[in-house]
This record gives sequence, structure tokens and C-alpha cells, in this order.
Amino acid sequence: MSHDTEKQVGEAKLGALGSFLDRQLSPERIRIWRIVFFLVLLVIALLNLLITNHHPHFGWDKYPFFWVAFGLILGVVMIFLVKKIIQPLIKRPEDYYHDL
Amino acid sequence: MTSDFFHPSIAFILVAAILPFLPGNRRWKWLVIIPPLCAIYAAFSNSPGDYLTLSWLGQTLKLGHVDRLSLIFAQVFAIMSLAGILYSLHVDDKGQHMSALLYVAGGFGCVFAGDYLTLFVFWELMSIGSTFLVMLNRTRESVLASFRYFLYHTVGGLLLLGGLLLRYKATGTFDFGPIANAAAQNYDWLILAGFCVNAAVVPLHAWLPDAYPRGTVTGSVFMCAYTTKTAVYVLARGFQGWEILAIAGTIMAVYGVLYASMENNARRILSYHIVSQVGYMVAGIGVGTAMTVNGASAHAYAHILYKGLLFMGAGAVLYSAGTQKLDELGGLAARLPWVMVCYMVAALSISGVPIFNGFVSKTMTISGAFEAHQIFVGVGLELAAVGTFISVGIKLPYFAFWGGKPTDFKRELKPIPTNMYFGMGLLAILCIAQGLFPQILYHYLPFEEEAFAYQPWTAWNVLQACMLLGFSGLAFYLMRNVITPHKALNLDFDYFYRLIGKLLYWLISLPAAFIDNIWTNVWNTVGLRGLMGSAFSTVFFDRKVIDGVVDGSAYSVKGIGFLGSLLQNGKLQYYLGLMIILALGIFAFFWY
Repeated sequence: MSHDTEKQVGEAKLGALGSFLDRQLSPERIRIWRIVFFLVLLVIALLNLLITNHHPHFGWDKYPFFWVAFGLILGVVMIFLVKKIIQPLIKRPEDYYHDL
Repeated sequence: MTSDFFHPSIAFILVAAILPFLPGNRRWKWLVIIPPLCAIYAAFSNSPGDYLTLSWLGQTLKLGHVDRLSLIFAQVFAIMSLAGILYSLHVDDKGQHMSALLYVAGGFGCVFAGDYLTLFVFWELMSIGSTFLVMLNRTRESVLASFRYFLYHTVGGLLLLGGLLLRYKATGTFDFGPIANAAAQNYDWLILAGFCVNAAVVPLHAWLPDAYPRGTVTGSVFMCAYTTKTAVYVLARGFQGWEILAIAGTIMAVYGVLYASMENNARRILSYHIVSQVGYMVAGIGVGTAMTVNGASAHAYAHILYKGLLFMGAGAVLYSAGTQKLDELGGLAARLPWVMVCYMVAALSISGVPIFNGFVSKTMTISGAFEAHQIFVGVGLELAAVGTFISVGIKLPYFAFWGGKPTDFKRELKPIPTNMYFGMGLLAILCIAQGLFPQILYHYLPFEEEAFAYQPWTAWNVLQACMLLGFSGLAFYLMRNVITPHKALNLDFDYFYRLIGKLLYWLISLPAAFIDNIWTNVWNTVGLRGLMGSAFSTVFFDRKVIDGVVDGSAYSVKGIGFLGSLLQNGKLQYYLGLMIILALGIFAFFWY
């Protein structure tokens, strides 16, 4: 109950764009956005069968889906490498240099 | 000296000089908008040539060397100065405005400098101005960071100074022009090192993520635009086609992205992305073909606009919510919707999404690198593009504005001044305009013919960008629980700078302590005894001589007083008798 009144007080202050954005946070809307996201990715990937690279610069980029794989695999590998391997090694407390 | 050249620095320095003498009723704020307008006028009206030559100490100083390369940088500097001033118009602290004006004046001075001496003077002016933009945040953290920043840039400036003096000794001229890689001398490398400090070339880069997140909200907006891009400009003027820069730039591009992926502090993420994005420009200059130098210049132009906007967006969140740490933010999209929109325009621009200006500048550099058969550079820059989209395009806005949390209605938000929105809006419009109509950017590139030979808006280029970025987005989605930022300090090369600083400190303090130790012993044995001896003799003198004199006179006064009291007993016969004795005495004295 208290949360609802708070929300109403807050909502009164939200502009048109703000309340639109607030509505997108409901579980159904999030689900819709997720489906839209996957559909867009599917369309992009399928378009690669129609539009191809006529000037490949190195071997692999002549194959379709090369840049799909490049973005996905290197993205996952990079996040894993940075957060799970590099950061644990170089992580220190925030005030490590005593200058905060 | 012709009349049709106007040096923008003059307006900036003039306003900065009179600002402290104006009354404090805020009307002076209209004045600070004038220099950027003059600069925009100058950038579009100045034509190539050499102007403002001064003879000084037997040297000819060229303050106004204008060509296509300097004009495009002057143009974007001018536009950015207007946006930055608009964004900071609510600030009442005159000191901050003065530092910003002097700093920008330094930037223009460097861009129009035709010789190394002029360049050095304005180079140092920038260093001083930007130091104050950090210091005037007035927290202990910022003041300490500003001292480190200043020390570091002083070292960089000294490298440049050493290089240009040795160069003068060898060649007899201060002229600032292209240097061939094959004929490079030691002094050229010194100059290059000085430039690389300001260009934040890894491993000389750590001053940037140290200082920029600690600047004032408005100060960092200025700093993110000028220091590194002035360095890019001087590298483009002097060091085109230096192979080492192509490699250094690629390393920068990837390195900055890796650190940005683990950071928690919003403006530090953006700072690491300056390192990364400047890497594209340095790599383009290093490859050194007309296309990649055009790409570097175009990217510098686009980068200043969207990076300024990114710092404005992150700064607005910091200003409003009071923190820039991602783990403390989230759920703000609905409460700061227009900040989010402006930020996203910049985030999509930096990521190179079609429609936005990063797309037309970044692809030019990458295509240029591939066409010059620099596969390592090209692939490295594509990899950096993946990381850029993941960390600045998605991670930062996701955790700042959403973070998987409901709209945060409890947080107290400071209202954002309208002028901040004006600054952000101006840059957002320009980012989109350049993306949609690349000609308005390409028209000003240094190699004009080559600029129009490149067409960014082809079906393949658009699809390639969409594939690369769309599926990096999917990578973020899959790894969103891994990439969640946490409070931590990530060690960087500044660990070694601090180590070097401590070593120098010891080198000076240890001999000083040693000498001090010896001096203490000498003092204990010789000095202290001498002092004790003189103390004893003083005491002796005091007791025997001074006390003797003082006590003696006291006793005689006491005796005289006693005699006087005996005589003055109030009996008339005694007085009469005494008078007769005295009178007889005086009579006897005169008679004989």
C-alpha cells in the first residue's frame, strides 16, 4: 500500500516519456521487448545470406555469419576473460591508495 | 600579418582575464558565451595560410598556421566549446569558468601553432587549465588527483621541451612539420613521447582514468574533448605513417575496452573509452594513408561530439543522483528520461551504430586499415568495437538507468538545470546529423578528394555493423550476470607511476635523512656543549656581576632611606640643629 502511494506521488512527477519508460518495466512488456530483440537478431543474421561481403580483406570474412560469430563469441570470451580471470588478479579495495 | 585571420584563443584569454573583475551578480555569465561564438566564426571564416608571425628572441613564432588539418580540429573545438559552456552555464564559480576558458584557449593555440615554441606555450596552458578543472571539484580526492595530474603532465611537457630544444640545436629551426619515420632522430622520439603522454598511449595513459572521473561535472566535459584530441592533432601533423603508432593505437583500442568492461565508476568507464577511441585515431595516423588520416580526423571530430555528450550524460546523473558508481544506481530511466535519451544517442554513436556519427567515422578508419593491408590493426579495431558496444553502449546505461530494478521513486534527485539539457541537445542533434549526412563532416577532412571516395552508407557496411553490434548485444545478454559491476579498484599502470614517484621521493629523502642524522650527532657533541658552556657563563655573570650591582645599589638606597627616616622625626629642635650644622658647613666651605 505504502509503495503504491509512493509510486503515485512519483508518477505524478514523471513526464510523458518517463511514464512510458516506467510502463515498459512490467514483466509482460519486458517479455515482448526480449522477443523483439531476438527477432531483430534473426532478421539481421538471415539478411547476411542475401547481402554478402564482396571485398573480403582476410580469409574468414568471406563466409556468411562471420561477423555474427565475431561479435557473439569474442563478446562472450572478452566478458569472461575480463571479469573472471583478469579482474580477480588486479582487484583491490577502493581506497587502496588512501586518497579517497 | 593579414587582417582576415582571427585567433580564437584571444577571445578566450581576454574573457578569462576580465572575469575576476566583474561584479558577482551573474550577469557576467552572458560574457562566457561570446568566445565560443567567436571561435565558431573563426573556424568557418579563416582560410589556409600563415598569419600572426612574431619575432621574438631572434625566432619567428607562427601563431596562426592554418591548413585543412588545423581548420577541421578548430571547427570541432569551437562547437564543443559552445556546447561545454552551455552545459556549465549554471555554475557560479568564476574560477571554473576561467580554467575552462584558458584550457580551451590552449587547445586552439596548439591547433594553430606553426612552430614548436608556440606549441609548447599553449601545451602548458592547457595543462594548467585542466589541472584546475580537477582541483576545483574541491574534495580531498580531487585535489590529490589534480596534483598527480599536474606532475605527470609536467613530465610530459618536459619530454616535449627537451626534444624541441635538442631538435633546434641539431636543425636550427623550431618549425613544426611532418617528420619522416625513416629519418627519425633521438629528439624526434622525445617529442613523440611528449605527445604520447597527452594522447594517453598505453602505458602512458593512466593519468586519464585517474583524473577525469574526479574532475568537476562540467570540467570533465571540457577535458574529455581537448587534451587527447590536441595530441591526436599534433601526431597527425608530425608523425603520419609511423608504424609504431599503428600498433600502439590498436593496443590502446583494445586495452581501454577491457578496463572499461570491469569498471564500476561511470566516468571512469568513459575515461577508459577515451583511451580506446583515441587508439582508433592513433592507429589511423600510424597507418598513414590519406584514407586513414581522414578517418582519424573524422573520428576525432565525431568523438569529441559524442564523448562530450557521454560525459554530459554521466555528469548529469552524478549531479542529480549524487553518485557515479553503477552498483549504487539503477531504476532511473523513467525519472531522468531525457538524460537517458541523450546519453543513448552518444552511446550508439560511439558504438558505430548506423544513423549515428560513429558509424561514418569509425568504419572509414577500419576500412582504410584493411585497404592498407593492416589486418592486425583492422581486426583489433573491430574487436574494440565489440567491447565498446558492450561496455559503453549497453553496460553503463543498463546499470545506470535500469539495472533490472523497478523505477526508483525513493531516491532524491537534484533537478537538472535547463542549460545542461541545451548543451546535451546541441551535441545529440549534431551526432545524428553527421551520421545521416556524412558529407557535412567529410567536406572538411584534410584530404578532400579521398574523403568523398569513401561511401559509408552501403548495404554491406550497414549490415556488417548491425551483425557485429547486434550479436555483441546478445553476448551481453547472455553474460549479464557475469558483467555486473562491483566496487573495486582495478590496478593499472599508475601503480608503477606511484612506485617511480616513491622511488624519487626516497632518492631525495634518504640522503637528506642521512645528512640530518650526522648533523644531529655533530650538534649533540659540539653544538650542545658549547651552548651549555655559554649558558653557565651567562648564569655566572648574572649572579656575580648583575646581581651584585643591583643588590648593592638596593642596599645603599635602603641605607640612605633609613638615615632619612631617622632625620625626619618631626621634632623641631632636631631640624633647627641640623639647619645650623648645614649652615655652618656651607659657611665654612665658602670661607676657606
